[in-house]
Amino acid sequence: MSLLITCPICGKRNGYEFKFGGEDRGPKPNEDELTSRKWCEYTHMNTNIGGIQKEWWYHRDGCNTWFTIYRNTLTNEEVQNHKEVAP
Amino acid sequence: MLQKYKRLWSKKSLKSSYDAVIIGGGVHGLATAYYLAKNHGMHNIAVLEKKYLGFGSSGRNTAIVRANQRTSENVCLYQEGLKLWPELTSELDFNLMFFNCGNLNLAHSESAISALRLQVTTAQFHGMKTKLIDAKECKEMIPALDISDRLRYPIFGAMYHPPGGTVRHDALVWGLAKGASQLGVHIHQKTEATGIGIEKERIAYVQTNKGKIFTPRVLNVAGPYSTLIAAMIDLRLPIHALTIQAMVTEPLKPVLNYVVSSGAYHCYANQSLKGEIVSGSHMDPWPNYTTQTTAHYIKHQAEALTELMPCLKGVKLMRAWGGLADMTPDMAPIIDGNDPIQGFFQNCGWGYFGFKSAPVTGKYMAQFMATDQCPSILKPFTMRRYENHNLMGEIATPVYYNPWN
Repeated sequence: MSLLITCPICGKRNGYEFKFGGEDRGPKPNEDELTSRKWCEYTHMNTNIGGIQKEWWYHRDGCNTWFTIYRNTLTNEEVQNHKEVAP
Repeated sequence: MLQKYKRLWSKKSLKSSYDAVIIGGGVHGLATAYYLAKNHGMHNIAVLEKKYLGFGSSGRNTAIVRANQRTSENVCLYQEGLKLWPELTSELDFNLMFFNCGNLNLAHSESAISALRLQVTTAQFHGMKTKLIDAKECKEMIPALDISDRLRYPIFGAMYHPPGGTVRHDALVWGLAKGASQLGVHIHQKTEATGIGIEKERIAYVQTNKGKIFTPRVLNVAGPYSTLIAAMIDLRLPIHALTIQAMVTEPLKPVLNYVVSSGAYHCYANQSLKGEIVSGSHMDPWPNYTTQTTAHYIKHQAEALTELMPCLKGVKLMRAWGGLADMTPDMAPIIDGNDPIQGFFQNCGWGYFGFKSAPVTGKYMAQFMATDQCPSILKPFTMRRYENHNLMGEIATPVYYNPWN
């Protein structure tokens, strides 16, 4: 079973057309008080959610758009209209 | 001759406390348990496995072993690992079917040859037999290879690594489980760790679906699922868990007498002792915890195999399966202990190198857990290397932030 991803411009397409752009990590940390530890947390570390996560994708073999989707990492399916629960 | 079926390992009831709890019943976890009991006299140990032994990557890999990695730190470890196979076979009294056929790593460009040159030099520096050979020599070794310029990526040469080969992966799981069980280790299948308890910044207990286990030491060795175990103590890991697909053809007469791999074609293959061509591909480029297979890679594999070895055209693929690889940005594992929590050890992030390194890492991991002193051979793999900007050069290109590596 292959992954289908909804591109905001091209619609639902085969997952292999896209490049995974990583978990949504929020904004880049403030450079004024940046430590190695904080930078490492931001660049290298993943939350690795077993469930629904927000992530970046790039339509490499299509319209070259960057966008975010929600996907369930336990079933490998895109989740439409997912409502984020505040932590 | 048919004999009465005997269990390889005994079934024990879950105790309420152990000296160490190993989360993950794969080759790394079982090897650690085995060596803890054998070398360090720690017999009060539990191995927890959520499904059944060898369910995860231990039973899904393509069983290739070698020691021709790129960096010295890695080669030293894998080199010792390679020497362990014959030793373990007799020690465990279990036929691990180590087949020392040698590995051929194809290069399809001048730059790939240059990259291999460094690997060859590293291997030779550590006394491993490895050399560069040209396309004609490749053809002499594997007559089925197409070395013409008909290929999209013609073969320029290869790195030939005679000490490598294949090992029967299930045999390693069963052999280690048998050995560990005989030494008193408790193996609990269908036992899932659901939480890890910390008291006064020390590991206190592991919560499982079958009850609470008090323990001062926990080893996170759940392979790709280790990211989910680390999350239990709010620890984030620089790992992407990616599906890697593999498949086998129908059995054939001997045609491929080496393990052959190609970076450009994202394909590696060997012929099993039964005659099937066992072939693995690249990873699905998105993290997930499924083991789904896709038509995409069956097509990709068929194209790559028949281009490299045209005589395989028309051969049927019998089955395909998926396993997970826990990839780190620098393609080297994370082996750490007592950091950030006293008593919390981890051995993960092996990507697709986990199988070949299991017994040797288990041996040193056991030493680490028993003595609380990290053996020097494991020191380079500390997780702190990421924040210290001291990543390993296991890939030929600079670290590139996507899930490939």
